[in-house]
Amino acid sequence: MQRYILQRLVQGVILLVVVTSVVFFIGRMTGNPVDMMLPEDATEEDRQDMIERLELDGSVMDQFGVFIVDAVQGDLGTSIRYRQPATDIFFSRLPNTLAMIPPAMILAIAMAIPLGILSALRRGGIIDRISATIAVLGISTPNFWLGIVLIYLFSVTWGWLPSSRMGGPLNYIMPTVTLGTFLVAGFMRLIRSSMLETLDSEFVKLARIKGVSETAIVWKHCLRNALIPVLSLWGVFMGGLVTGAIVTETVFAWPGIGRLTYEAVIFRDYPLLQAVIIMDAIFILFINLLVDILYAYVDPRIRFE
Amino acid sequence: MLRRSRLLGGVAASVLAAFSVAHAADHQEGTLVVALETLGGQTMDPILEDRAPHAHYQAPIFDALIGFNFEQGGLGPGVTEKWELAEDGLSWVFHLQKGLKWHNGDPLTAHDVKFSLERTMSEESLSSRAAALRRNVKSIEVVDDHTVRVYTKGVQVHFPAGLSRAVFQEGQLMPKNYIETVGVEKFREEPVGSGPWKFVESVPGDYVEFEAVEGPHWRGTPNFKRLRILLVPEESTRVAMVRTGEAAIASISPESIREVEAAKLKLISVPATMQAIYQFWGMYKDSQKDSPLADVRVREALSLAIDRQQIIDHVMYGQARWPMPFATFPYAVDTDIEKWQAWGREALRYDPERAKELLAEAGYPDGFELKFANTALPGTPYMTQIGIAVADFWQKIGVNVDIKHYEWGAFRLLYRGDQKALTGAASMFRTAGRPVAVARYSGGFTSKGGHHLFGEEGDCNDFCQAYDKLHQEVVTAQDSEERARKTDEMLTMVADSWIAVPIIEGMGYWAVNPEKVGAFKPIPGRHEFGDVFERMPRPEQKPW
Repeated sequence: MQRYILQRLVQGVILLVVVTSVVFFIGRMTGNPVDMMLPEDATEEDRQDMIERLELDGSVMDQFGVFIVDAVQGDLGTSIRYRQPATDIFFSRLPNTLAMIPPAMILAIAMAIPLGILSALRRGGIIDRISATIAVLGISTPNFWLGIVLIYLFSVTWGWLPSSRMGGPLNYIMPTVTLGTFLVAGFMRLIRSSMLETLDSEFVKLARIKGVSETAIVWKHCLRNALIPVLSLWGVFMGGLVTGAIVTETVFAWPGIGRLTYEAVIFRDYPLLQAVIIMDAIFILFINLLVDILYAYVDPRIRFE
Repeated sequence: MLRRSRLLGGVAASVLAAFSVAHAADHQEGTLVVALETLGGQTMDPILEDRAPHAHYQAPIFDALIGFNFEQGGLGPGVTEKWELAEDGLSWVFHLQKGLKWHNGDPLTAHDVKFSLERTMSEESLSSRAAALRRNVKSIEVVDDHTVRVYTKGVQVHFPAGLSRAVFQEGQLMPKNYIETVGVEKFREEPVGSGPWKFVESVPGDYVEFEAVEGPHWRGTPNFKRLRILLVPEESTRVAMVRTGEAAIASISPESIREVEAAKLKLISVPATMQAIYQFWGMYKDSQKDSPLADVRVREALSLAIDRQQIIDHVMYGQARWPMPFATFPYAVDTDIEKWQAWGREALRYDPERAKELLAEAGYPDGFELKFANTALPGTPYMTQIGIAVADFWQKIGVNVDIKHYEWGAFRLLYRGDQKALTGAASMFRTAGRPVAVARYSGGFTSKGGHHLFGEEGDCNDFCQAYDKLHQEVVTAQDSEERARKTDEMLTMVADSWIAVPIIEGMGYWAVNPEKVGAFKPIPGRHEFGDVFERMPRPEQKPW
């Protein structure tokens, strides 16, 4: 196991270098932050002056060299727009995003596991059909639209919930539902198909012959097996939730990482964008490693040698 | 006796001042909540904010050297109550109001003004016009506590405009003594200003909060006790917040106008905040001499093909105005407003038949191919829709428009360097609502300008040289009548070229919950409330 973890860490470092390089060079191809900062009638002289003040006047390779040297020392640069260390900004926003994820995950799992199991057990029945409808709606409904609809209904029309922003428990309900709906659909369909496959397997048939109760078969034997692919999906979703909650964070005015990424892209804030993507990559690598380790516990057949 | 009367006078003034302070403080209550789409860099150090958002969240706390004309738009008194150009034209003298104080009680003096301007021009400054200030300012002299003289490099007749929030943010004043005592970092964390609102808190990516000063303020004494400016990027969420009362005011775009009206909210349309235009790039180059666009009749035809009233009615939902010439507005200085408004109504009319005639006269009765780069500048996303409408009108007279859409950051790359990708093409553009048009004409048409639509250094034909000469005369004409006459010539030259053509005069739009805030007036030309917040009444004070 230790050897496997070490191997994954080395792979992770290589991947980080690749990601960093790609972000660094592609970011610079999309425009210059100076152009977002100067008024539309600024002269070329104004532009050059600003470029020098922001120390963007060296060649791209020179800038890359400086960036790598600083990054190795833990300095990912200063945000051009906010004039603060990029990592400080990232970590100031990270808790806001992380605060939204557990409720969304709990919602998704609380709905997906029972519905997925019931759909598999009552294949073709009314619950299966309702679940399929929920899944289709969940996946095909843009969460941008869903968020706006929820705001319109629960805030504007009925006045039950605050429309947006961080705050008390009520502020979490609509962002959680918006974020969780997509997850419910994915988890539910995966659990259903995994359960169907497991229910049809030889060891389940043997358990039935041996007279094991249906409840024990479903919850003890089948679900544990069915959760292995779900774990993979959980890893993917967790990464996506941190980096991809842009829409939910924008609709609900939630000052998290997703919106920070969007702002960094729009303002061509290279150091901030690099920092956000590198930190996101580290987070995703960590989650994937965690998922791999969890495999071993969920399925003892899996070994890492 | 004289001493006694002075003493009595002083006591009376103190009692009056104390009463005014107590009265103002008693009067202030509640929190005014405003939802905006951006808080820019959300920094409380004026030299670190580069663009427009400063006017929302920095203006409450910081005063500017030159202020607004609240009624008509444009320039008006600020911390400087009057300003004058020296006879030799090489320096400007600013006379400050007396008795102004910083929030920490220090007096605001000419030393602060000198310090602020020098800090704004410094190497650490990210102000968008810092380079321009360095180019234009030779030195700054404190004449006395309430008088500052700024020596300029050459005659700079429009210099004060750049120090007004009506144009840019570089005139914002910072406390010299406080910054030198506590240091820059502390100032950024706990800023002290001289405006009607004191800083309370800034949560990055979320909000900035202020508290009203207790005494009367020359910009107006706030009626609310607190001011909270929220960052809410999504427009439909902002509108929802106003509908639910979570926010009193929210910035919106024309797309939300109908929803705002249907919800019985108040719609505030701020006149003349921008002009949507289109312009032709690189037409002076040799490579373009055979282009259909090289013929001025073709360029005029393209303007006549556009039904501006349709754009105003259907793209802007009726909340836009007929434009004046390029970059001019009803509050423009040195401009014959009536004459140019009449010009706009006639020259920018919708006349597709005449457009077709002009195309035929120019030898293009069946139209031609036209590349059109469509884009929207930050803060005015509806420009894209205007661009699409313009392309449709051009198609109707037989011009085959090859339209491409660009995100603003990507578009800006196109007009750097040799402008190869845009040469011979049209594009959407915008001019912000500013009282001094000449700055925009400089960037647009002089050979040293960023757009240099008439020619560039090393490739400046007779027309381009004539324009450069005229432009220089405008910016150095000390006599106001001569300046107005030269400005008129400059406007004529640009208007007749049909190189950069106004489409509509846009507005700024706000959704207002009348149960949360009373009736107020914005400043014409400025889609921001930095200098209006203090004059917003509570609903019971002035119902809609």
